[in-house]
Amino acid sequence: MRPETRNIAATTPATLRPVRRHPALAAAAGLAALVALSPAARAETDAAPVKDGVAQVAITLLGDEGGRCVLDHASAPAGPVTFSVTNRSAPGLVELELLGDDRILGEKENLAPGLPTVAFTVTLGGGGYAIYCPGAAQEMQAFTVTGAAAATATSDTAALLAEGAAGYAHYVDGIVDAMATAVGRLRADIDAGDLAAARRDYALARPFYERIESDVDGFVLDGHALTDNAGNLDYLVDMRASNLDPAVGWHGFHAIERDLFESGAITASTKALGVELERNVELLRTRVKTLAYKPEDLANGAASLLEEVQTNKVSGEEESYSHIDLVDFAGNVEGAEQAFAFLEPGLERIDPDLAARVKAAFAAVKTALAAYRDPQTPGGYATYTAALRDAEAPKLSRTIAALQEPLARIAEKVATAN
Amino acid sequence: MTETSRPARPALSRRGLLFGAAAGTVGATLAATTASPAAAAAPPDAEDLVDLARTYPFYGTAEQAGIRTPPQRHIVFMTFDLVSPQRADLQHLLARWSAAAAQMMKGGAIGRIEPARPDAVGLDTGEALGLGPAALTVTFGLGPAVFSDRYGLAAQRPAGLRPLAPLPSDALKPEFSGGDLSVQACADDPQVAYHAVRDLARIARTTGTAATRFAVLGFGRASAGPGQTTPRNLFGYKDGTRNIRGDADFDRFVWIGDGPQGIRGGSYQVVRKIEMHIENWDTDRIGDQNAVFGRFKQSGAPLSGRDEFDTPDFALRDAAGAPVIPPASHVALAAPENNDGVKILRRSYNYTDGINALGQLDAGLLFISYQNDPAHFERIQARLGAADRLSEYVSHIGSAIFFVPPAAPEGSYIGAPLFA
Repeated sequence: MRPETRNIAATTPATLRPVRRHPALAAAAGLAALVALSPAARAETDAAPVKDGVAQVAITLLGDEGGRCVLDHASAPAGPVTFSVTNRSAPGLVELELLGDDRILGEKENLAPGLPTVAFTVTLGGGGYAIYCPGAAQEMQAFTVTGAAAATATSDTAALLAEGAAGYAHYVDGIVDAMATAVGRLRADIDAGDLAAARRDYALARPFYERIESDVDGFVLDGHALTDNAGNLDYLVDMRASNLDPAVGWHGFHAIERDLFESGAITASTKALGVELERNVELLRTRVKTLAYKPEDLANGAASLLEEVQTNKVSGEEESYSHIDLVDFAGNVEGAEQAFAFLEPGLERIDPDLAARVKAAFAAVKTALAAYRDPQTPGGYATYTAALRDAEAPKLSRTIAALQEPLARIAEKVATAN
Repeated sequence: MTETSRPARPALSRRGLLFGAAAGTVGATLAATTASPAAAAAPPDAEDLVDLARTYPFYGTAEQAGIRTPPQRHIVFMTFDLVSPQRADLQHLLARWSAAAAQMMKGGAIGRIEPARPDAVGLDTGEALGLGPAALTVTFGLGPAVFSDRYGLAAQRPAGLRPLAPLPSDALKPEFSGGDLSVQACADDPQVAYHAVRDLARIARTTGTAATRFAVLGFGRASAGPGQTTPRNLFGYKDGTRNIRGDADFDRFVWIGDGPQGIRGGSYQVVRKIEMHIENWDTDRIGDQNAVFGRFKQSGAPLSGRDEFDTPDFALRDAAGAPVIPPASHVALAAPENNDGVKILRRSYNYTDGINALGQLDAGLLFISYQNDPAHFERIQARLGAADRLSEYVSHIGSAIFFVPPAAPEGSYIGAPLFA
């Protein structure tokens, strides 16, 4: 989820990283710079007309002169403002944003010539704003609001997102706790030599890891180099045949899975693996509880959980002995959906269309998954046999792909609202 | 739509370039190859040039580009299933697709490749950057299911749009057949064509409107357009010698001449994935191959004539009284003379899918035809499928049909009048 690899010896919680600003966007933050940039400010200094208490601004996208976003008024009185956007002839311009202090306050996507006018309404306090038209010859234009500098909706949005990120941290903490308990049960079954119970509890322990796996990769044990898998906690817990490092060998969940489901025997080595897994999961638990998340971490984490589904679950590669891939699949999806749910209240403010699209796509994925529910099988989903995979993988993969694309657009929106 | 802009950059003749290079660097090899019959080493048609700076306009008031447009060297053809039941989603998709196609046909990106914000994803995937427009055309088609009550378009259905009738020798596989939307991207650089389809597929996913169904990557155009020399299919034969060329025949056989705005000026696109058993074919003796096609392999002349463009004489008999062009040959069965004068515009490409499960070369013809009545295709294919000697060497494994609306004027999008 976070690009940096953290050292497990670190004792301070992860802290907020300063937001890197692109020069063009950073410049937009300063009104003075904007006005200087903007020839559009010259003529349209008259304020937008107010109709039923709402200021009305029309923006027209034109394809000439390299693509133009033309505002009929470049200022409005403080209060609610409706921006109506019409793409008349600019095939290169498909999105438009209202920025305030580098944050996205409102936007429209899916603009294309010939489509009906779309509108968004925001309540603005006095101050400098910018209209951002990516791809236009002049991408940034100043928009001025006159009157009282009221507390804007922006701060609410940022607060909603921050609240969501904090809520998500609690969710992750709860999952690692549950995982530790489930792995403890699995270890006890193995110690007792109870193959049937161990197989069942293996399927029950797996989905916890799958829900949060994007948060827990990248931990390196003290005293190990970054490139050394013997110190890579994710490797030690979740390695599988396809990423086997011969120098380090089999460890963790899938080493146990191989003993339980392929050879079907619990040996002294299985017992040692159980103890090792329990210890490593405990280490993970301690580390995870020190993590703090930014809203975009949730979005990026959800995206990488879906990548996991596409690369390892749909293919049946993850659980090649137990074939509980659909259990993992459901775990990844649930983790991604939780992350999204915590962002949703904030995202609703920024881009309700996108929030609705992502929500609908999650619903489609869950409907698809529900077809494979099987309460008789440990983990609650049908065994992902080669025959089932060959028949169903294309459909499952497409359903996930339909979720991936809209979901990938979230990080940018929530990051800018920070 | 036939107008083209030709920037100052000099045109590059691929074959001309190859010939020139051979003369300069591998003269000995060239000398050896010129010992073969002169026809094999004839210089390319002066008009038949690859110009990577060439552009065709997307917007217009007549037909979409990619039908009458001279066939480019490469195609990526993809069909999609609609996954959203919303009429507005379909409108949005067609509008986004139209805008994107217009940008790409100009050689531009469809949006930011590298957005300013680090958490943003690019709108354009970037692999066509710097490759030039490469004569890209993107042609959109609407399948029968689009014109349903689901989208409030049942009343707009073009008169001729319906699933194709089952035809003799059909061996259709669902994975290579059907679709609600078609995208035909043709270009003189395969990466430009692929980029177009890839980014359009991405818009379909992003908007949650459509999902991919089947795709074919084709090369070495297997049909000639006006002013082009006749290319060869993977059997080594010239195909499309008698293709539609003149405006009168386009009006008579290709464009839908009546119907409301949004239908008139469109056409029907028939797509067939035809597997060729090329390894068997390669073991067939040349006399039999010529008899199967009804033409000479090298010159392309009908067996009744001497030059490629000689009109086939189906009445001509040999000394023993047998027809010189066998009645079950490909050319005899497909000829307009033997089909009440019916013609279709062929705009096909060769394809390969590598090696099949049996270890054989997996290749064939992506047959695409345009006509103002799908019955014209059915009529010809019914004869071919029933009697064509070529059937021994081909299987029709994929099939789809689409209505291709006329071009959109600037400021609008493909299919917009249907939603009015």
